[in-house]
Amino acid sequence: MSGVASVPLQDTVLLPERLGNLTGLDQFGLAGELLATLVGAIFVGSLMLTMTALAGPWAKRKITASFTDRISINQIGPAGIGIIIADAVRMLSKELIVPENVDRPAWDLAPIVVVSSALLGFAVIPMGNGIQLADPEVGLAYVFAISGIASLGLVMAGYASANKYSLIGGLRAVAQNIAYEIPLVVTGMSIVIFAGTLQMGEIVAAQHETLIEIAGISIPTWYAFVNPFAFVLFLVANFAEVGRNPFDTPEAPTEIVAGYQTEYSSVYFVLIYLGEFLHIFLGGAIIATIFLGGPAGPILPGIVWFLIKIWAVFFLTQWLRSAVPRVRIDQLIEIGWKGLLVLSFANLVLTAVIVGLLA
Amino acid sequence: MSTGLERGQQPPVEVSEDDLAALIDDRALARDDHLNAPGFVIRPDDVQDVLTDLRDEAGFDHLANLTAQEYADRYESIYHLRKYADPTQEVSIVVPTTTDNPVSQTAEPVFRTADWHEREAFDLVGIDYEGHPDPRRILLPETWQGHPLSRGYDQEKPQLVTLSEHANPVQPDHHDDESDTMFLNIGPHHPATHGVLHIETVLDGETVVDVDPDIGYLHRCEEQMCQQGTYRHQIMPYPDRWDYVSAGLLNEWAYARTAEDLADIEVPEYAQVIRTMSAEMCRIAAHMLALATFALDVYGDFTAIFQYGMRDREVIQDILEDLTGQRLMFNYFRLGGVAWDLPEPREEFFEKTRDFLDGLPAKVDEYNDLLTGNEIFQIRTHDTGILEPEVAKQYGCTGPVARGSGIDYDLRRDDPYGYYENLEWDVVTEDGCDNYSRVLVRMQEVEESAKIIEQCLDLLEDWPEDERTVQSNVPRTLKPDADTEVYRAVEGAKGELGIYIRSDGTDKPGRFKIRSPCFHNLSALPEMAEGEYVPDLIASLGSLDIVLGEVDR
Repeated sequence: MSGVASVPLQDTVLLPERLGNLTGLDQFGLAGELLATLVGAIFVGSLMLTMTALAGPWAKRKITASFTDRISINQIGPAGIGIIIADAVRMLSKELIVPENVDRPAWDLAPIVVVSSALLGFAVIPMGNGIQLADPEVGLAYVFAISGIASLGLVMAGYASANKYSLIGGLRAVAQNIAYEIPLVVTGMSIVIFAGTLQMGEIVAAQHETLIEIAGISIPTWYAFVNPFAFVLFLVANFAEVGRNPFDTPEAPTEIVAGYQTEYSSVYFVLIYLGEFLHIFLGGAIIATIFLGGPAGPILPGIVWFLIKIWAVFFLTQWLRSAVPRVRIDQLIEIGWKGLLVLSFANLVLTAVIVGLLA
Repeated sequence: MSTGLERGQQPPVEVSEDDLAALIDDRALARDDHLNAPGFVIRPDDVQDVLTDLRDEAGFDHLANLTAQEYADRYESIYHLRKYADPTQEVSIVVPTTTDNPVSQTAEPVFRTADWHEREAFDLVGIDYEGHPDPRRILLPETWQGHPLSRGYDQEKPQLVTLSEHANPVQPDHHDDESDTMFLNIGPHHPATHGVLHIETVLDGETVVDVDPDIGYLHRCEEQMCQQGTYRHQIMPYPDRWDYVSAGLLNEWAYARTAEDLADIEVPEYAQVIRTMSAEMCRIAAHMLALATFALDVYGDFTAIFQYGMRDREVIQDILEDLTGQRLMFNYFRLGGVAWDLPEPREEFFEKTRDFLDGLPAKVDEYNDLLTGNEIFQIRTHDTGILEPEVAKQYGCTGPVARGSGIDYDLRRDDPYGYYENLEWDVVTEDGCDNYSRVLVRMQEVEESAKIIEQCLDLLEDWPEDERTVQSNVPRTLKPDADTEVYRAVEGAKGELGIYIRSDGTDKPGRFKIRSPCFHNLSALPEMAEGEYVPDLIASLGSLDIVLGEVDR
């Protein structure tokens, strides 16, 4: 299957390059290239921030409300969509309360670390229609590495807040991330064995073949279809990684108030909140890229398909949030170390053997 | 077909008054009989002795209540004892102490629940209990001057307490350098304390090693306010404010029953049926809220199951509004009956109520799918918050909490009142003793309450129009004979809700004491939560279904 990579169907021209061509910036050498890259980065960043703005104040409320038989926001603008602006104004105009004894600058840096680690991850995601900032050979490893930095931010927030609830939340976050990062990466590895590459563009391209044809509809070789087991493992590990139900123990509102974000208000709170949503979307983006064929899909343009896929993952997190209880911290660690880790290694070995035999 | 009203086990042999007198023997200084029970006056240093004998020899294993009061010449502590196996068997132990030296022996080694009760007696009335393990105030701040329910207390005197005099709850030095534990204040502002409760917790990592509930944040002097109201009309609104989440009518019934016994008032049968029906509606509403908030504690968010609980509770809340004119503070019961008949047109009311009852099984199925059938919910609640029946009895736990520990105790059946005797329903018990059992008990009690309401509806529909008396003739002013004492309880939403009244010959009670089931249930929290994880502490607290308005009164 690795042979597929040599015939990439993916648009191989990256976004900065294309922007450079379009605007003529590429004539200015390195400076022009840098500027084009910056414009591209701003575009991708704004896109993801828009998604978050849509998801955080509005979609999340609407989705939860329909799960729980409520009406939810409906006063400002059509279907209450104006709440996004109203909430932005409200959150940003609140007083930033800095508690005594917080450990600065760690306390100030933590929200930035959380947000930036998520945003940086989108740099290597192929979003279709040529929207991809970079496609390094170690793309997948880069994404895992950069999103792992978020744990650092959470620990910083936890200990620097000088609050016991925050401390417990921070410790829970790091315990959880260690326990679930390994299964996540190992399951990701099994996909690398299929695709024979870490490069995101190549992984997407490798999923373009037809797996099976049923009644004239061809099912592509998306790795979710090729190896559903790995897909489920990855989904579960991903929910724990981004700290969503049933694995939202680091925040656990009824137990430890709000975990590591207890002491944050105003802009800092917005940043942490933003970081969380970005991480959900980054998780969705990774899932879409390595399991769901990236931007592939019929009729609609690639970027639309890509957004549909990450929103589907977001929708799933909200569904779980409404329907599934939270596991206890010891149970969570047990599921991670005794369950997912073993299963993910079994999956890796099996995949290696099967791919080895077929090759 | 079982009427459901037979007990699982045989009631213990009846202990006659003579047997009791023989058991207490010459330790009894005098008799001081109450309306509900024989009373024996004993010396303050015989308390443990007598209570131990009564518990072990005569089977009085339930310290239902402890009332403290001050007379002109003495202080008095009254231990109201009953049996879990048969609560109609009661005895009151009266312990007088002198005014200048109000020291009485503690009953804490015999009944753990005396711990909190004696703290309250000390706090409000001013009796000292010798040998008490933890002689602190419980409802009022540590720095309070005087005892508000004692006779010489000056209500006009301002309570000026500076912050520095007060124990500072956020002082940093709660741990010494040697230990690895962490002191954590859960509450009074915390998402899961169901009101203003403060739990002083010591954690070892995520494990809870010590729990000390600190109550009193919602103390509103309910007992004193009731002592300042007239029996006939002025007291009835207060019970609505004890357990204020939908259980109002159940609370009103506690007062109605006690005052009716005290003043010897008959209640027409028609009114009894209406009372039974409306009280069970309140129970459904209260249990729905309990289920919903427990789900909130375990799920950790305002999830589907929470909203479903609220949605279904809303229907019954509307029916109660139609009936009483109120949604929260019903004030519908009157001494000798209820305020008014069912709302006209009656058919509409019956239809609305029957619609709710018909829809209930489907909703219960939905709850079972979402909640009790959920594997994660099960691993979260099975074998957590264990409350062994013996421990539950020691703490005087009643209601769904006791029945979740397999204690077959329900006053509706065991100490019958209202119309329950004539209806077919079952007392639900579960033997799991854990959080899951308590949820199951509440869930099934909703169905049992629905059965009761259904039968009441049948009765009310066929009731001849000229016999619909909603209130008996009750004098405008009630003045029960001086020094009549009575303790009566009903099965509230959370358990045995009892009231002790001593009349002093006027139209207002001389002493009005509320026996709150939540107060007892909450006192058992340390037994359930210590040694478990923080999330289990929260879940256990949720499974107790406390309402701070009733704990603090």
